[in-house]
Amino acid sequence: MADTLTIKRMSATPNSLIPLDALRSNAPVYSKLVDISRCIGCKGCEVACKEWNDLKVEPTKNFGSYQSHQDLTSNTWLLMRFNEIEVDGNLQWLIKKDACLHCEDPGCLFACPAPGAIVQYTNGIVDFNQDNCIGCQYCVTGCPFDIPRYDTSTRTVSKCNMCIDRVDAGLEPACVKTCPTNAIAWGTKDDMLALADSKVDTLRTRGYDKASVYNPAGVGGTHMMYVVPHGDRLDDYQLPSDPTASPLPMTSLGFLKRLGAYLFGFSIVGTLAHLLAFGQERPDDEDKESRARP
Amino acid sequence: MNNRLLDRFTYAERLVHWAVGVSFVILLLTGFAFSYPSLFWITTLAGGGGAARLLHPWVGVVFSIGMVFMLAFWIRDMFLDREDWRWLGSVLDYAARRHDKVPPAGKYNAGQKAFYWLQGVLAIVFVVTGVLLWIPGWSSAAVLSFSRLFHYASALAGGLLLVVHVYLGTVAYPGTARGMIDGKVTRSWAAFHHPRWYEDQSGS
Repeated sequence: MADTLTIKRMSATPNSLIPLDALRSNAPVYSKLVDISRCIGCKGCEVACKEWNDLKVEPTKNFGSYQSHQDLTSNTWLLMRFNEIEVDGNLQWLIKKDACLHCEDPGCLFACPAPGAIVQYTNGIVDFNQDNCIGCQYCVTGCPFDIPRYDTSTRTVSKCNMCIDRVDAGLEPACVKTCPTNAIAWGTKDDMLALADSKVDTLRTRGYDKASVYNPAGVGGTHMMYVVPHGDRLDDYQLPSDPTASPLPMTSLGFLKRLGAYLFGFSIVGTLAHLLAFGQERPDDEDKESRARP
Repeated sequence: MNNRLLDRFTYAERLVHWAVGVSFVILLLTGFAFSYPSLFWITTLAGGGGAARLLHPWVGVVFSIGMVFMLAFWIRDMFLDREDWRWLGSVLDYAARRHDKVPPAGKYNAGQKAFYWLQGVLAIVFVVTGVLLWIPGWSSAAVLSFSRLFHYASALAGGLLLVVHVYLGTVAYPGTARGMIDGKVTRSWAAFHHPRWYEDQSGS
């Protein structure tokens, strides 16, 4: 296999400290493509995800939906969300495969203060390394898709790792492998973009005028893309229409941190310069000095 | 009589001052570690990144409680009078040690009073955003990202004020720090730095 696990970015680590392998890497860049129009809601992908990643089974209850669980957890990395929406007078399931989208510009990684706790590989996978996680949950805040989940017992955060061990061995992720309708495709990003375009064209000929590809530019594109039959209803799919990896408060914080470092240095140097210019004020010694004078 | 020292700070005042001081320095150091990857090694002093993340908010609790008492203890002496506003107008003379041009100060000079109010406001921002960041489940991602911004901004401003505070209280004005250690200052120190307070003390 080609070098599939070359590090591209690491949290809280200047790019200059990352080995130059990434520049020389000829590793393929992968992507999943989820064709929502082909999903039959069997939840086989949820089971495959649990099995391959050895994730604890979590009891659930009937909450008035065909959806298996109410939310993602640190042990449930993939959840098919059954959004029941009325479209043109008919009830439809606008299903969303809710799991990490593996952003090209990962907001979680940018937000993380722990060196090496979040790693992005040149193949597009964004993975959490719990050994380095400090449990601050800034990644949860930084993710525009609300994916990472904190575990109060391990005090670390988890999410889908795109079955990185399978990908490294040249296999597709478990959810792709198990999908009985090929609703989840796997391949290079370029191939998946081309496939997505052809799927959108097909959907449009079938009357889905607003069909579109979900590959949002605000996060540099994603390595799990969707073919969305009702592209004008992203909100109903719970897909953010304009996600961003660098919201204004975070870019301001980055600027302020840089400024703050200079200001702290200046404050130390400034007080020292003041001391050298004006010396110490010792009213206690005045008596002695005047006595010493003839 | 001339050699007798003046009482400046009570035991309770010194206790809360140092509770706030020590906790704020720990907060600054661990906060620096979370803010600057090149300073992440500081977390090793706390027992690692995870331990530092656990410790930081609890130290913040000590800081918050100390701050409440400190602000309450001193608020009566911290309102600015007319002389104080004149003092602020001549703050550059004060910095340049042109003492004949600086109006005489009471128990606290106007700079100390401004420091009190600034740190009070910053502490409120610091603690509120800190609590939000401590338990992220209570708010939303948007609130939390603004909390990160204002938590850092208030820590930065408070840290810069701390540098000036420590400089003036130690090397610049010897004899000042003693007031926060055994609570006493010399008569000549008081007469020089806080003449109006000195007169009150001598009169009684």
